[in-house]
Amino acid sequence: MASNRIEKHKKTLVLLTMVAPAAIWLILLRYLPMGGIILAFKDYKINPRNPSFISNLMNSKWVGFKNFEFLFKTNGAWIMIRNTLAYNVVFIILGVIIPVAFAVMMNELTRKFVRKSYQTMMFFPYFLSWVVVSYFLNAFLDAQYGMIPAMQEAAGKEVTSWYTTPGPWPYLLVFANLWKNVGYSTVLYLAAITGIDASQYEAAAIDGATKWQQMRYVTLPHLRTMICILFIMNVGRIFASDFGLFYNVPMQNGALFSVTQTIDTYVYRAYIATGDPGQSSAAGLLQNVLGFVCIMTANGIVKKIDPDSSMF
Amino acid sequence: MSSRKKDLRLNSVSAGTEALFHVILCLFSLACIIPFVFVVIISFSSEASIREIGYSFLPKSWSVEAYTYAFRKLPQIWRSYFNSLFITVVGTVLSTAMCAMYSYALFRPDFRFRGFFNFLSFFTMIFGGGLVPTYIVCKQLLGLNENYAALIVPLLVSPFNIIVMRTFFKSSVPMDLIEAATIDGSGEYSTLFRIVVPIAKPGIATIALLNALAYWNDWFNSLLYIKQNKILQPLQALLMELQNNVDYLNRMAGHLGAAAINEAAKLPTQSLRMVLVVLIVVPIACAYPFFQRYIVSGLAIGSVKG
Amino acid sequence: MKKLLALLLALTMVIGLVACGSSTPAATKPAETAAAGGETPAAAPAEKTLEPVTLKIWFHGSTVTPDASEKVLKEVNAYLNEKLNVTLEVIWGTWGDFDTATVTALTGGDDVDMYFTCNWSANEYNKYARDGYWVRLDDLLPTCAPELLDTIPQGIWDCAVTDGYDGKGIYAVPGLKDTATQNCWDVNGTLLAELGYDVDAVCAAGLDYFSPEFEEMLQKAKDLKGKDFYPLLIEAAVLERMVTHSSIITGDIGSGNVLSYYYDAEHPSKDIGSTIVNKFATDEFAKFAAKTYEYAQKGFISPSCQSVATANDYRTATQSTGAYLIGTQSYAYGCEIEYADARKIDVRMVPETAPYMDCTSGQGAMVAISATSKNPERALMFLNLLNTDSKLMTMLNYGVEGYTYNTNADGTITFTDERSNYSPWRNGMGNVRILPPTASEGLTYWKDFAAYYDAAEALPMGGFIFDSSALETESAALANVYAEYAFNLMSGAVDPAKVLPEFQAKLEEAGINEFVAAAQEQLAAYLG
Repeated sequence: MASNRIEKHKKTLVLLTMVAPAAIWLILLRYLPMGGIILAFKDYKINPRNPSFISNLMNSKWVGFKNFEFLFKTNGAWIMIRNTLAYNVVFIILGVIIPVAFAVMMNELTRKFVRKSYQTMMFFPYFLSWVVVSYFLNAFLDAQYGMIPAMQEAAGKEVTSWYTTPGPWPYLLVFANLWKNVGYSTVLYLAAITGIDASQYEAAAIDGATKWQQMRYVTLPHLRTMICILFIMNVGRIFASDFGLFYNVPMQNGALFSVTQTIDTYVYRAYIATGDPGQSSAAGLLQNVLGFVCIMTANGIVKKIDPDSSMF
Repeated sequence: MSSRKKDLRLNSVSAGTEALFHVILCLFSLACIIPFVFVVIISFSSEASIREIGYSFLPKSWSVEAYTYAFRKLPQIWRSYFNSLFITVVGTVLSTAMCAMYSYALFRPDFRFRGFFNFLSFFTMIFGGGLVPTYIVCKQLLGLNENYAALIVPLLVSPFNIIVMRTFFKSSVPMDLIEAATIDGSGEYSTLFRIVVPIAKPGIATIALLNALAYWNDWFNSLLYIKQNKILQPLQALLMELQNNVDYLNRMAGHLGAAAINEAAKLPTQSLRMVLVVLIVVPIACAYPFFQRYIVSGLAIGSVKG
Repeated sequence: MKKLLALLLALTMVIGLVACGSSTPAATKPAETAAAGGETPAAAPAEKTLEPVTLKIWFHGSTVTPDASEKVLKEVNAYLNEKLNVTLEVIWGTWGDFDTATVTALTGGDDVDMYFTCNWSANEYNKYARDGYWVRLDDLLPTCAPELLDTIPQGIWDCAVTDGYDGKGIYAVPGLKDTATQNCWDVNGTLLAELGYDVDAVCAAGLDYFSPEFEEMLQKAKDLKGKDFYPLLIEAAVLERMVTHSSIITGDIGSGNVLSYYYDAEHPSKDIGSTIVNKFATDEFAKFAAKTYEYAQKGFISPSCQSVATANDYRTATQSTGAYLIGTQSYAYGCEIEYADARKIDVRMVPETAPYMDCTSGQGAMVAISATSKNPERALMFLNLLNTDSKLMTMLNYGVEGYTYNTNADGTITFTDERSNYSPWRNGMGNVRILPPTASEGLTYWKDFAAYYDAAEALPMGGFIFDSSALETESAALANVYAEYAFNLMSGAVDPAKVLPEFQAKLEEAGINEFVAAAQEQLAAYLG
């Protein structure tokens, strides 16, 4: 009995040495700086008598929730919150369905070379920054040089001023986002599929399952954990947005703000104007707190349905 | 759907369905690769052609001027290539190992502090202290300043990767295998590296790929921590700097006096932007198949049964 | 479990704060020395026994390779060691990275002694002076930098005065460079002659944006060159200030201007009321926007000039090919000669306004001493030498003779190919007038340069700086409304008759009236 306990302690100790490197890193590089969160409630000023960050932070004035005010100053506030949430909901839903579908399809292709080629190509958007993507899109839509306005003109139709017409932009942005991220998520799911023990398929096949049934009863259940985990993590970022997508891709045009302004672009523009780290900290904190609430809720729901797939 | 056809083959979908899959995947893949082809074309377009007809798949004339400009402006480009390579290799190995070890412990249901360490990493995915406090800890407490470590350490751990890796373990490594190994007297480290890692190869390769990309593309840490000892600059940081200089000159020429205005007028701005993309993407794209081999191929059945 | 975690979190934070606090003894020292320095008013540099010190300076806009830097700094330091017993370390900041990297270093209290600063990038001199990042120099200047005090004209020193942490005073050494602003029409003389105009006569008479003649010129060029030619090449914000004769208010929102201050175009120093107004609510702006929209509708302005993201690229590219008739230019002395060379056309600069001096030009390039510096006196002594000693300025700015440049028989210099590996931003270092002229500039360049800039009149508002720090909520909201409408209006992309009222309503909602009132109140107080 005693030796068993010693054995157990030993195992725990060994496992602790495994988590130690990353845990130490997390404590040093993530938890230590968290003291900086109070910046959100301060009017940051230098203390010239002792100009180190800590003493500056301590000596700066408490301003309560004043740093949060700029977010809700105008009616524009609800537009950016609406945009952020609506785009994220669409991204989350399509961001699960499409990559899973692609991964499953890819897994069924018989020729390995073709499968690899597709996969490599799909990964390319991940290498391109949003700025570059914006130039690519601009080559099509530009009022002066763009291919689409040129075609419209040649066909004798009225030329659309793409960068001042909000209508098509929600679709363009959703497509752009999927285009950029699908390859990446597909790889994650594909790797999960590849990890499936091939004997499970054999067993299913012997039981007379068709390929479609194999997909449904072997592949998808196997992916469930990965789907849930990625879903939960994305829900946690529901109040955040991919800055480059919403800032660069519409070429920063003000006429499109009704469908392109999100919390992050608003905060960025505010920061450029004021240079105040307190305001951006405040906005970030608010996004995080709300994200935290969402992620805990999502995790709770998943846990109820399928305890194995929850995050913790 | 076509799956109900009579001549069912045991291990593949019907030819018709597969053709449909091909069409869908092929179209999407093309949509993914064409912008990159476009980038390459622009990088070889002459500036005069861009001025005249804008960005186009069929430029009026070709030129390598932007490439010559980039190489002339960046005499230390080869050193930066080396720096990037070094940082990426070392960083990927270390971060992937740390991630695998951490995730493995979290994956073990019999690990006593599992919940605690799980939360420890998860929480940092949501909350952070912000740029300046992190900068101070790194620079003043850990001495990450003007050295390679400053480019490696800040990216070592990603809670996202930890969670994904744990999920990979969960979905591909059968628990009884580990129990069996423990009964056989295998130590935890040897169980991890001899049994779990080979099984979870696709997952580990995926995480390694993500890490490699993160290191290869990182310029921000160089911006913060490499200010004087610029021979340590990785490629992405060098390119970013050139890009920023060009944009800034373009935008601010009015503020900067005659010499700066003159400099701005000579820049091959638009093709240069694309040249920089090509210079950074091509090497990592070439490394991609290396990771892909493990992600796609999976494993022989035998090894699972061990 | 959760409670435990919360407790642990709180604990790590506290430990973190303590650990950080104790781990930064380096940063606490300067305070002690500064305090000590304050107690002994005889801080005058005792010239016989200068302690050897290392000073670190952070420049802006440099293109300097590590190898070239090493070579040049070796020479610089040999000279500095002898003169001041100083070893100089340089951070060659580049254009774009400066905002994030420098702000982080400043906020984090890095051990940098001197920073480049100015009032036109995010790195704003006045804001940081107010927040206590810079050392106030007034008391140190007479003892540590007497020559510097004499070299820089009083008018420029006045521009450097700001309401800082330690009261109103000078918080950085202003550079003696292009210290005036003048808005000019950049006219393509070659094309104008082609259209049948007498170029000299037209340019001498000046141009009026609202006149039928102006429009006729544009129309003729458009007719001659065809549909895809856009004769009016604009930088929207510059065009607006130029046509309405309004000046930038230092302290306006950082990403644009919502405030206007009108001045007399011929005699900028003439008092015409000295008021700060909401830029977008004036008749002048409405008139300007309507005209610009009209020109855009007639096809005089390229659509590429009307998109924030493509405007700069397009403008630079089009200027360099000379495919325009009239452009806008914030003038820099001698730039038309360089332009004519580069564009292979006859470039004429037709003044819209007389040159004037305001804060934007006076605070265009400065070097401040950081509050974290352990040796502020020595740093100032270094700046004194840099701005008055031609040898040092030349070495740091142009490099080493025989390496990056060669001296010609007449005293001018010619750069070698190595110059491309060592090109700091010339105007960012300080007094450029003590540099030797280049062969293409000609021997009298700096004399003419000084004559041009020193003749500029000061605006009636003088060195007024708007402190908007109490209105950050408004600034943030205004910046977003500005980004939504202003550029499109100023570039003629949207119809002001429809959009201007909507814009105005949103500005008011974002607090423009409080913002303008605060600025006007401060200006009235400033003018007394």
